[in-house]
Amino acid sequence: MEKSPSNKFVFNGSLNAAFLDELFEGDSIYAETVFEDFLRDLPGYWRQVEAAYQNKNMIGLRTCVHTCKTLFGYVGFTDLQEFCQEFENKCNNHTPEDLKADYTVLLQKKENAQGVIENEYARLKLFNQENE
Amino acid sequence: MKTTCIIVEDIQIAADFLRKFCEKSGLIEVKGHFLNAEDALEFLDEHKADLIFLDIEMPGASGFDLLDRLTYSPKIILTTSKTEYAFDAFQYNVNDYLKKPFTYKRFLEAIQKIQTAPHTPAAPPAATAPSADMDFLFIKAEDKLVKLKKDDILFLESMRDYVKFVTAGKSYITYSTLKNMEEKLIGQNFLKVHRSYIVNITKIEDIRGNTIYLQGSQIPVGKAHKEELVGRLNIL
Repeated sequence: MEKSPSNKFVFNGSLNAAFLDELFEGDSIYAETVFEDFLRDLPGYWRQVEAAYQNKNMIGLRTCVHTCKTLFGYVGFTDLQEFCQEFENKCNNHTPEDLKADYTVLLQKKENAQGVIENEYARLKLFNQENE
Repeated sequence: MKTTCIIVEDIQIAADFLRKFCEKSGLIEVKGHFLNAEDALEFLDEHKADLIFLDIEMPGASGFDLLDRLTYSPKIILTTSKTEYAFDAFQYNVNDYLKKPFTYKRFLEAIQKIQTAPHTPAAPPAATAPSADMDFLFIKAEDKLVKLKKDDILFLESMRDYVKFVTAGKSYITYSTLKNMEEKLIGQNFLKVHRSYIVNITKIEDIRGNTIYLQGSQIPVGKAHKEELVGRLNIL
């Protein structure tokens, strides 16, 4: 468990820690709530992404990725947020077959992100318990 | 006295941040949070909020649809995760535009801006008059503003919350409604022939029964629109 001398929670290096520090302003309890909400909401939205892709519904796919993009941003995955934006743009005039490689990458990034946030959530819970 | 607001946002995390920031500022009182434009409009019929935090892309009607249907002029702060809507924000004369996720510092800048700005009502985008004089228009597609010559447009097709512009070379999909486009194009060479289609009548090759043929595409003609179509064509 990482702790700085000022007892401030230090976010995982794969996240945009500087942005998260500014967003949460040291409120690790609120950060825990947001990360919990992310883990609660992402699976449902992601199922919609998968369904849209399987059904070749490019407009639905774009909308669903748009929603997930926002969620990724709020937990510090600003790079993934940009990737989602590019994917959204491509949905306008590409078929699912055209986007197969991008979709595979997006899926991998989402899995990775979810794993990082699960760990980060656990760290936050422990940190907040230890600093009550 | 606090400024009253409503939050129109379908993503709970984003709405929660807004509510938290409003409470933290001590300047804004949140009167309600709505997941879609319709519920927000229903509330606003009875309770006028000073300020609306308005998402753009939501299920059903968009944030811009809500602005088109407002019956009074509150302050508006648009919230979205795309920068391409900045153009529309400008056209609607909104007070500020916040790109999600935004920090408390950025939120406060927006609030301070509306508290110091003179009241200027949000206006719908310039509709038919300027567009009628120009032989082109701009649409937001592919994360940029795309210029289309009206004469290149074969037809427009409604795709729920989007409109597809079909030209001979390429199709473009923009986040809008056919109704919006109708206001910008109808009366020139464009005619609504079906609830889901507007065609450039100069591109019609032939009509067989209730189907229009133009450059490889077949467009249905709705019963309600047939009479007007016949009236607009120069039939000898």
